[in-house]
Amino acid sequence: MIRLQNIEKVYRTDTIETLALNSVSLDIAKGEFLSIMGPSGCGKSTLLNIMGLLDAPSKGDIRIDDQKTEGMNDKQLAAFRNKKLGFIFQSYHLINDLQVLDNVELPLLYRDTTAKQRRELAAEALEKVGLANRLKHFPTQLSGGQRQRVAIARAIVGRPEIILADEPTGNLDSAMGNEIMEILLNLNRNDGTTIVMVTHDENMAHKTHRLVRLFDGAQVQ
Amino acid sequence: MFKHLFKLIWNKKKQNFLLITEMLVSFLVLFAVFTLMMYYYNNYKKPMGFDYQDVWVINYNNSYQTKNVDSLDLYYETLRKTIKSLPRVKEITFVSGNIPFSSRTNESGLTFRGKHVQHLNNFTVEDHYEKVMNVTLLEGRWFNKEDVVSKNQHIIIDADLKEATFGKESAVGKLLGNDDDKNKFKVVGVIQTIKRNGDYLKAGPGMYFRTDTGSFRWLDKILVKVDHGADAAFEGKLYKTMANYMKNANVEIEHLVNKRTDANYFALVPMIILAIVSAFLVINVALGLFGVLWYNINKRRGEIGLRRAIGATGKSVAAQLVSESMILATLALIIGTFFAAQFPLLNVFDLPAIVYIEGILLSVLFVYLLVLICSLYPGKQAAAIYPAVALHEE
Ligand SMILES: Nc1ncnc2c1ncn2[C@@H]1O[C@H](COP(=O)(O)OP(=O)(O)OP(=O)(O)O)[C@@H](O)[C@H]1O
Ligand SMILES: [Mg+2]
Repeated sequence: MIRLQNIEKVYRTDTIETLALNSVSLDIAKGEFLSIMGPSGCGKSTLLNIMGLLDAPSKGDIRIDDQKTEGMNDKQLAAFRNKKLGFIFQSYHLINDLQVLDNVELPLLYRDTTAKQRRELAAEALEKVGLANRLKHFPTQLSGGQRQRVAIARAIVGRPEIILADEPTGNLDSAMGNEIMEILLNLNRNDGTTIVMVTHDENMAHKTHRLVRLFDGAQVQ
Repeated sequence: MFKHLFKLIWNKKKQNFLLITEMLVSFLVLFAVFTLMMYYYNNYKKPMGFDYQDVWVINYNNSYQTKNVDSLDLYYETLRKTIKSLPRVKEITFVSGNIPFSSRTNESGLTFRGKHVQHLNNFTVEDHYEKVMNVTLLEGRWFNKEDVVSKNQHIIIDADLKEATFGKESAVGKLLGNDDDKNKFKVVGVIQTIKRNGDYLKAGPGMYFRTDTGSFRWLDKILVKVDHGADAAFEGKLYKTMANYMKNANVEIEHLVNKRTDANYFALVPMIILAIVSAFLVINVALGLFGVLWYNINKRRGEIGLRRAIGATGKSVAAQLVSESMILATLALIIGTFFAAQFPLLNVFDLPAIVYIEGILLSVLFVYLLVLICSLYPGKQAAAIYPAVALHEE
C-alpha cells in the first residue's frame, strides 16, 4: 500500500543542515496497522509527513497504492491527500470557530459533494466515534479525548484507505488514550483501513501488527 | 463552500465586526467624496451657456439720481453711446447686479402647476445682453421692442426653469407664474442655462426680465464685449471715460475670465481638502486592512496547514482568504449603501439622485478594489505556507 525506498530528508537552514531521515525503506501492506517509535527528534513526524505527501523527501521514492507521487503538482497532491489519506495529529488541529459537525465535514468540502451528503457522512462518522450527541458543540467545549475523536471522525469521513496518526494519544491520559486506540483498532479491523501511527507508548505499539523503531533518522528495527 | 465561509465569518463575528466597521467608515467617506466629485463633474460636462471671453464688467455706484425718467434715460443712453464709440468696444449692455461669477443673487420662488421651484434667479437684462453674452437660444426668441406690453409681461426663461415647469413641453407662448397670480408672465424664449456659479456648481433655474423705463435707477453694472486684442491700455481708457462721465462714482472694471477662475477656485478648494483628507483616511484604512489580514493569516497558519493536509490546494486557500475579505466587504457595503441611499431618498442636499447613485457605485467599486488589493498579497503568502511546517508549529 505504501512503499518507501531509500528516503532521505535533509532540512537546510542558513547555518545548519539536519539529516532528519537517513535512507529509510519501508513497505506497508494494505490493511496493516503499523506503529513507529523512537526518541524525540529521531524523524518520526518527518517520516509521516513524507508518507502523507505534506513534505517532499530530499531523495528516494514513494509509492502509494502503486502510484508514483513524484512530480505530482499541487492540485494532484491535494486531490490525492483528500481521497486516499486521513490525518490525525497530537494537537487535534480542529478549527475552533467551527462546530463539531462542520469540522468533520471539512475534507468533503474539497470534493464534489452536496451539503446534504456532507451532513449525513459527517454525522455517520461522528456516530462511529461515539460523539453523535455533540454535533453542535464547538471544539473548545469538548474534552481532549472528545476533541481527538472529532479529529478521527474528520480523518475517516472521506473513507480514506490510509490513516496517518502522529501521536494521537500523546495529549491524553491512559484511559482516554485507550479509548482512542480502541477506535483505531476497530477501524483497522472492520473497515480494513491501513493505519500508520507514531507513538511513545509501548503498550499501544504492541497492540499493532508491526513496530518500526527509528533512531537518528535511521530504521533500527 | 460559500455557506462554509459564512459560518466561519459568523462564528468570528466579534473579530469581524471591527473590520466591517473600518470598511463601512471608508465607504461612507468615499461616498461623500465621490458624490461631490460626480456632482462637480456632471455640472462641468454641461455647456457654459455663454461666452465669458473678452467680456468685461464695469461696476459703478449708481449716483445719478433724478425723479425725471426722461433725463435719467438720456443720462445713461449718452453713456452707452460714449462707451460704444470707443474703438475696441463691440457691444455693451446694462444689467442687474447678479452677473455671472458674482456672489450677488436675486432669488425668488415660484409655485407653478402645483410644483414649487426654489432659488429662482431673477435677471434684469436688455436687448443687447444676448449679443454681449452670446447666450444660446433653445426656443423662441430674445427680447426686442415688441416686448413692451401692458398685460402678461414677457419673460425669457432658462432650460432649468423650463424643465422644472413645463417639462418636455414647449414653453414659448405659454403663461408662467404662481398658480394664484392672475397676471402671469408670457414666455417668449428659452435659453441654455448659463453657469453663473462657475464650471462646477449648479446654475439654474433663471428667469429674465426686460428692462423698462426707470430700470436705470437701480442697475449698477455694464457688460462690455471687447475686441480680442483689448489690453490694459484700453482698459485704462475705458476707465477714464467712465470716471469722467460719472464724476463722483466709484468705477471698477473686472474681466469675466478672471471672475470665472475665482469662482472655480472657491468651488474646488473644499473639494481638494476633502479629497486629501479622505486620501489619508483611505491609506490608513488600507494599511489597517492589510495588517489585519496579514495578522489573521499568521494566526491561522494551523488552520491553513490543516486545510492543505485534508485536500485544499495552495490556490484554494488563497481564494478562501480573499473570498472571506470580499464577503466582509460585501456586508459592509450593504450596510453602507443602506445609509447612503437615504440621501437621495430624503433629498438631503437637493442634489439630483443620479449623482448619489454614481457616488455609491464608485465607492462600492473602490472599496472592493481596496479590499481585493489588500488581501491578494496576504492570500498569496498563505498559499505559499508549507503544510508540514504550519502543522508542526502548533
Ligand atoms: N522544518 C524543519 N526545519 C529544520 N529542521 C527540522 C524541521 N522539522 C524537523 N526538523 C528536524 O528534523 C529532526 C526530526 O524532527 P521530527 O519532528 O521528525 O522528530 P520527531 O521524531 O517527530 O520528534 P517528536 O517525538 O519530538 O515529535 C529534528 O532534529 C528536527 O529538529
Ligand atoms: Mg513528532
